[in-house]
Amino acid sequence: MIDEQMAVFIGSGLRLAVPIIFAATGEMLSERAGVLNLSLDGMMLMSAFAAALASWVTGSPLIGVLVGVLVATSVAAVQAFLSVTLRANQLVVGIGFNILALGATTFLYREIFGPLSRDPIPGFAQLNLPWLASIPVIGPALSNQTGLAYVSIIMVVVTWLLLKYTSFGLAVRAVGEDPRAADKAGINVARTRYLGVLYAGALAGLGGAFMSVADSNTFTENMTKGAGYLAITAVIFGGWNPWYTLGACLLFGFATALQFLVPALQLDVPVALLLLLPYLLALIAIAGLVGKSRQPAALTLPFERGG
Amino acid sequence: MKTSKLTSSGPRSWSDLVPLQVLVPILSTVVALGIGLLIIAATGGSVTEAIEAFWDGMAGSDYNIGASLNRAISLGLVGLGFIFANRANLTNVGGEGQLAIGGMIATAVALHGAGSLPFGLAFLVPLAAGAIAGGVWGGLAGFLKAKRGTNEVISTLLLSFIALPIVYWSVESFHLLRKPITDLSSLPESPEIPDPTKLPLLFPDNGSPLHIGLLLAVLAVVVVWLVLKHSTLGLRLKAVGLNETASRRAGLRTSFYIILAMVVSGGLGGLGGAIMILGQQFYLTSDFSSGYGFDGLVVGLLSRGSAVGVVIGALLFGFLRSGSINMEITAHVPSAVVLICQGLIVIFIAGSAIFTNRKANR
Repeated sequence: MIDEQMAVFIGSGLRLAVPIIFAATGEMLSERAGVLNLSLDGMMLMSAFAAALASWVTGSPLIGVLVGVLVATSVAAVQAFLSVTLRANQLVVGIGFNILALGATTFLYREIFGPLSRDPIPGFAQLNLPWLASIPVIGPALSNQTGLAYVSIIMVVVTWLLLKYTSFGLAVRAVGEDPRAADKAGINVARTRYLGVLYAGALAGLGGAFMSVADSNTFTENMTKGAGYLAITAVIFGGWNPWYTLGACLLFGFATALQFLVPALQLDVPVALLLLLPYLLALIAIAGLVGKSRQPAALTLPFERGG
Repeated sequence: MKTSKLTSSGPRSWSDLVPLQVLVPILSTVVALGIGLLIIAATGGSVTEAIEAFWDGMAGSDYNIGASLNRAISLGLVGLGFIFANRANLTNVGGEGQLAIGGMIATAVALHGAGSLPFGLAFLVPLAAGAIAGGVWGGLAGFLKAKRGTNEVISTLLLSFIALPIVYWSVESFHLLRKPITDLSSLPESPEIPDPTKLPLLFPDNGSPLHIGLLLAVLAVVVVWLVLKHSTLGLRLKAVGLNETASRRAGLRTSFYIILAMVVSGGLGGLGGAIMILGQQFYLTSDFSSGYGFDGLVVGLLSRGSAVGVVIGALLFGFLRSGSINMEITAHVPSAVVLICQGLIVIFIAGSAIFTNRKANR
């Protein structure tokens, strides 16, 4: 009985973590380049809707994911134009996009799906890999995932390699720490930041599409419920490091899943306190009370050549 | 661009007569609302019906005007808080949490004892408690900034997401603020606050819900404007914001001013939350502040540090919200259309800052 509950808990913790892993990993790279995308939640929501719509129209969840990524990346392109080229306040633009995304998806959902909202949309099947399932305790939870869930881990590895071992990664880090010096060294600051934001958009798109097409097989209004903010929090808690960020996402996923486990085990812990746990942990981390967490020096600061 | 420097000494062009800082927000709003109308028309809605319902909801009756102004009060207070902290170069994005905590504490005080106080203290004490609670919430971020160097953008954002579950917890738990389950209702919300703690109405005879919170908000606007523009405190906040190290060398206690700026900023947000509960809602729900803090933040951000700008922005967003609610009810146009317009307004104005700043800085 307890084993079964543990398996359900681990499974739901992982499923809740996956969209945050996608979004946080991309956002981490963008922030390392100096651009904070408060619009992450909006990108995810737009993608969740676009993926659901495309999957419903074409019957192919894969096309759904591609369309979702495309839409989120387009939003990211506009965000990059505003915050890099026009040097607009990154926070204002981000909040503007979140309001816009909530409005647009809610409106379109009612216009398009309205009467059909009970229909499940075509989604991915779970892979059920037998060799994974044979691991005791966590095995079933690990194997009962869609392929997209494994892609999230691959993206963490890819991002880590990108940041650490490529010239692009070097440029990203330089631009995020000291754009003026990077510019003098011949790095194209604007181009690097554009790519960083687009990367964040594409990954947020994967995260959003995962929510609608792979996880719930439906779209609901405001279905991200602040997952984008949670991802930004995970980046902070993870100290702008890909592996720690992954750890933070898993921790947040399990903390969120605890709200289903706690009542099942008949423990008397207020659910609300579990909901605020990730943010409290991040606050403690950023306050430097535990460990050391330092943000990229040029985070949220626009750069003007020769200015 | 060099050209703007040259023209400044030359003859005045038409754009000097209508400053871009005024033109851009107006154009942004008009274009965004135009797009909203196009969306309504494109999806087969009746544009005239929608406009009528929208106008009616904003200002069609004394009641609606009052309700719109009441919304603007809380948005304006959050916006004022934002520009106050921003004078010290601090970015308080935690209005949502400060609003929520202020509303929660004001409810608690109103429910537990304030109702029997004389001479208007019945509502003044909960208002003060809400403001103090918001001030503590904002001050926490100020403390972390001053003592640990923690980026206040991140800490205020996190504190918001910590505040919201706390409010949720308080209305979920019977030993906190949740009302006892009756046959009629078992919703997770607080009982209604006692009548003496409700804010007195300004025009009790014409059915307008407009309450004395308006006077408090006007007072706050004047005080913030005076402090920021015409006081030593305003100058010191600016000095600390411009160069903390130099200010410290010049003998200013910089941590004090950083914490003070955040306490006042959060306090104004907390007051806004308290006014929402005591003025119109009368009981606490977990999502009573939903979106108001972020709207208020946008009002503050778009005002460019001007108290007058905050007033205009708060009125715009307050009336937009009221109009959208009525449009959904009577014209069956989803209020999400107005969200789209709001988002576009924010993006347009933020995106054009590069052009208007150039004018302002020359």
